[in-house]
Amino acid sequence: MKSFLQLGLGAALGALMLAAPAAMAAGDKIVVGFATAQSGFMQAYDKPAEDAARIRIDEINKAGGLLGKQIEIVAADTKTDRAEGAKAGLEVIDKGADLVVVSCDYDFGAPAALAAEAAGKVSFFLCAESVKAGIQGVGPHSFSASVLAAVQGATMAEWAYNKKNARTFYRLLDTWTEYNKGICDGFDWQLPKLKDARLVGEDTFKNDDASIAAQITRIKSLPQEPDAIMLCTMMPGGVSAVKQIRAAGIKSMILNGSGMSGSYWLSATPDLSNFFVPDQGSVHGDDPNPKVNEFNAMYKAATGSDPSSQYVYPGYVMIDVWAKAVERAKSTDADAVVAELEKMKDEPTLFGPRTFTAELHHQNKGRYLITAVENGKARVVDEWTISEPIPVDYLASK
Amino acid sequence: MTALLQILFDALSLGSLYALGALGIALIFGVMRLVNFAHGDYIAFCVFAMLWPSIDAAAIVFAGNLPTVILVPFILAVGAGLSVLSEIVVFRRFRNANPATMMIASFALGFVIKYFLLMLYSSRPKSIDLWSNLTRQIEIAGARIPPLQVITIGVTIVILIALTAFLKRTRFGLEMRAAAENFTMARMLGVRANRVIMLAFAVSGMLAAAVGLILVTQTGTVDIQMGANLMLVAFVATVIGGLGSLPGAVLAGYLIGAATVIMQVVLPPDARPFRDAFVYGAVIVMLIWRPNGLFASRAAKQRV
Repeated sequence: MKSFLQLGLGAALGALMLAAPAAMAAGDKIVVGFATAQSGFMQAYDKPAEDAARIRIDEINKAGGLLGKQIEIVAADTKTDRAEGAKAGLEVIDKGADLVVVSCDYDFGAPAALAAEAAGKVSFFLCAESVKAGIQGVGPHSFSASVLAAVQGATMAEWAYNKKNARTFYRLLDTWTEYNKGICDGFDWQLPKLKDARLVGEDTFKNDDASIAAQITRIKSLPQEPDAIMLCTMMPGGVSAVKQIRAAGIKSMILNGSGMSGSYWLSATPDLSNFFVPDQGSVHGDDPNPKVNEFNAMYKAATGSDPSSQYVYPGYVMIDVWAKAVERAKSTDADAVVAELEKMKDEPTLFGPRTFTAELHHQNKGRYLITAVENGKARVVDEWTISEPIPVDYLASK
Repeated sequence: MTALLQILFDALSLGSLYALGALGIALIFGVMRLVNFAHGDYIAFCVFAMLWPSIDAAAIVFAGNLPTVILVPFILAVGAGLSVLSEIVVFRRFRNANPATMMIASFALGFVIKYFLLMLYSSRPKSIDLWSNLTRQIEIAGARIPPLQVITIGVTIVILIALTAFLKRTRFGLEMRAAAENFTMARMLGVRANRVIMLAFAVSGMLAAAVGLILVTQTGTVDIQMGANLMLVAFVATVIGGLGSLPGAVLAGYLIGAATVIMQVVLPPDARPFRDAFVYGAVIVMLIWRPNGLFASRAAKQRV
């Protein structure tokens, strides 16, 4: 049995090695390399954005390609492992990748991005929302396709203040990830700028806490229920926190980051109301831009299911802005493409404008749709762009 | 006063969950000196058994739709079945191996279960609304108490009494304790050891299932990692309680639950993210004070 398995494995490896040279880049095509997780737990987070990227690549190819050349895709599996990530990065570069696409999460994507940086290639994080995913953490050729977590916290605070008249805020931070902390950092930056708004309390919990009863008791013992609770968390602990907050009878509006986007988890809290998330585009079929709804239909046709959360969209944006930069540079040369990307100021995309500068390859300001959940149903109710960008110095100091 | 009552209930509810987890681990350790690190994965497996296998983001509830009177025994049976199966397929082959080897085997088994779930359900956490009326809170003397907390505490006490009676008063219990004391000798004296061990695994698996049901009702979340944190706390509880001692494991589970809640209440905001460091600091102090745990069982001590 054992030798049979080894034989099988050997044969598979052999086949892979034979296949590799065939994928080598030739002069008549442009290669996009995906060094992402095709197995392990990151796969579920990488694949949706990757599928969206492939849709944009198909569109470009059908419209005649990029600089008159077809875009070819090569891929290597990071297996949700940081060491494998570096290898996957090198593998797609060996296969001639002009653009290296890396895992959604900063920690898991960075090894491949660093490999690309060392080889002088442009790399894009599929949807990392830490300021490190770019110049600060990887180097001058690295970008992220999403919007910083801090912008999400700042957006929700400013929107709730202006549109919902929220004046008293409570800050509840899940200390599990940098992403969660990023949302609260943005909230902390925004709050002092809002006249008369004040923080009436704060607390922390851990994503895998079996119960947040003690945290809820602290909110309940406030003299008055806060207008809004800024909940800086993500799946799966976020669902648990929301469920427990509402079960305790706390009716304050709950503000979140995009980590709680999508409606697939609402089955845990069937009659949830007064709950708000920022979304780059709507997965609920009611985006104000009909083109987004068309994209959702295309996504469903390509993958068999609707986008489950807004984290599908950055993949599409990534190929879109990169291809535009290549067109304008008339070359895939990394430095020329980076220079064009850095010229983008409020470049329109299907999912909001994008700006890149020589000091930040990420979005410190961005248009967000505000999705509300009422009676267990999610729908877009508004959109908001923070009045000023979050300073890079502030982000870097966090 | 109300505040104190609230803290007491918050601590009891978290402690009960830890105590049930610790009981499942202590039971197996008592009988065969195995620290079963796959216990946390049993918890996840039992909860996933309510869903239809699919890698979609939204959960497809299947067995979870059964009426409660069928669902509870079904999930308990899943837990018992998985646990007994792992004894027959894996642990039986390590009967004479040293405890460290068995522990490593349990780690490996845990990985196998986790990746099996990953394959069937993907790594994305799923959501399910189970018995949500149990989490709606009722007020007693100004304190908020969800019925689920009362049930959890009640279930823990009932299980503890039933298990103690079973071990002290029945023939199987006597055999189990004999096997725990000296496995070879017990066999020589006619104890059908494999049956006894299998029974211990079945009960332990049911405890994992019970923890899973409580956890999913509370959090609404099904995740392949969901048992991991609880398993760690439960393991620490069995060590503080004195490895192999059932009342010790339960008491220690409650102590850790209480310590966690109290730290969350009294620590200043800046120190709260390090809550667990304080809790485990207390665990270290405790172990320095009583290296064999609160109730060191005779079986767990080194025989010279």
